Amino acid sequence: MSLLLRNVALPLTPFVLEVDAELHGPVTVIFGPSGSGKTSLLDLVAGLRQAPSATIQLDDCVLTDTSRGLLVPTRSRSIGYVPQDLALFPHLSVRQNLRYGSKPAAGGDPLFSFDHVVEVLEIQPLVQRRVTELSGGEQQRVALARALLASPRLLLLDEPLASLDLNLKSRIIPYLARIRDEFRIPTLYVTHDRHELLALADEMMVLVNGKVAQIGPLREVFNRPASLAVAGLLTIETLQAGRIVKTGDALVTVSVGSALLVSAEQAPVANTAEVYICIRAEDVILLRGADGPGSARNRLPGTIRSLAPEGPQIRVELDCGFALTALVTKQACEEMALKPGDIVTALIKAPHIHLIPR
Amino acid sequence: MESGEWHLVWFTVWVSFLSTLLIFPFGLALSWLLARRKWPGKSIVETIISLPLVMPPVATGLILLKLLGRRGPIGGYLHDHLDFDIVFTWRAVLVALCVMSFPLFVLFARVAFEEVNPRLEQIARTLGAGNLRVFCTITLPLASRGIVGGMLLAFARALGEFGATIMVAGNIPGRTSTLSLAIFQSVQLGHDPTAFRLLGISVVLAFAAVWSSQWLVRSKRR
Repeated sequence: MSLLLRNVALPLTPFVLEVDAELHGPVTVIFGPSGSGKTSLLDLVAGLRQAPSATIQLDDCVLTDTSRGLLVPTRSRSIGYVPQDLALFPHLSVRQNLRYGSKPAAGGDPLFSFDHVVEVLEIQPLVQRRVTELSGGEQQRVALARALLASPRLLLLDEPLASLDLNLKSRIIPYLARIRDEFRIPTLYVTHDRHELLALADEMMVLVNGKVAQIGPLREVFNRPASLAVAGLLTIETLQAGRIVKTGDALVTVSVGSALLVSAEQAPVANTAEVYICIRAEDVILLRGADGPGSARNRLPGTIRSLAPEGPQIRVELDCGFALTALVTKQACEEMALKPGDIVTALIKAPHIHLIPR
Repeated sequence: MESGEWHLVWFTVWVSFLSTLLIFPFGLALSWLLARRKWPGKSIVETIISLPLVMPPVATGLILLKLLGRRGPIGGYLHDHLDFDIVFTWRAVLVALCVMSFPLFVLFARVAFEEVNPRLEQIARTLGAGNLRVFCTITLPLASRGIVGGMLLAFARALGEFGATIMVAGNIPGRTSTLSLAIFQSVQLGHDPTAFRLLGISVVLAFAAVWSSQWLVRSKRR
């Protein structure tokens, strides 16, 4: 897929939504804090809102071009939209909701046939029910199925899991993954939840106050956040101010607190000495003792300040001359008998220390 | 009851029903425009159609009389060119009832439309529905109870109309006399038994209309 958003400008309060981007998907997550213009952007793509200036093109089909006064009406766009409140029609049965946008079966793609969609989302038993009798997770799947049955060319999902609790969320994510793999519809997925992001996204666009803060493949954005704002949004555990003290041999030495760190990143901080360092907790390895040579460039002695369970893992807060966070498995934690006050060695490979100019 | 009284009841119900039927399409269109669209002059139109609700009905009747009379701008034209008279005929009753019950219907239908979540209409569009289909399958069914409730109240308002009717249609027995006018006249002439019989009938009619509108509103909340 290619979704082209050119010169998009839409005044919102208190900022102007400005996007100029080309998205390739197949699943593009639009990530950002609430009120950063994410839903407005989906509305523009669906044609439910008009911007004073915008060119929107899906593959070779121009949907909106304000410079030529072109605006394809929403009903002809073939864009499936599942809004945050789902917008199931309360006066219709589940079946009538599902059938509302479905194209006649004749000549239709069997992939998007009623039976197949209903089967993939496992909503067979719900079809005869009233919409008002469904639970949150059931409503969610019905809304997804209704959008799919219109055989859309693009799917817009606006925080589809925001209203569900953690337990339900983890039950719905597999359905979303199944939709992605089974129907292969390019998808714009709005969320501010890191778990959904990691489970589903191929590409991500970070939106802050209506502006694109960063755009790129998921791993790229996660490993190399372009700014402090993006790193903060992605909740990268260790984010500290530092100062470059030495450059050379394709490595950069940075002083942080009372420690010295070696990073493999040079390009983004070529013109400045003042930087932020980003270290993801899962990239930190803990070691009892400090013997023997190793390949990791950074070996930092540190004291354990606290241990706290985080899902199946343990979050370890260390003092290595600066505050460092590590994530280790429960088994590792038990084998090493980690407890507060212990002295350990933290290993971090140089490419895992990302630098952002200050 | 005498046959004249049956005729009176029949005429009142029939002309009230007809006026409700006549205002329905216009009221529906106008209330949708007021609820869903922005247009120049909207607030002026809103104010003008609310006037009959707050002005003395007799004053509204006087305006109608001046407009529709043989020497008025509308009535004069109809009389001269089409040989068609309104004032002091049953048509005048119909016009008075329409004008007096129209704002009540628009008030209710507008609220009913406003209560329909616009997001539902938008999502129906993403599912390929055009304006007419969205209106018929989403907006109208979801607003239907409020609309029907408004129609019943408009009908009840028409049944009891007095001030505007007497100004523009007079009180001609067998031609323009309605229940309210006849009750007033019976009391004036000292025919108390007739007045009480007619009173009983209007209580029954009013009760039926209000009770069914309340029943609709209750079942909407359920």
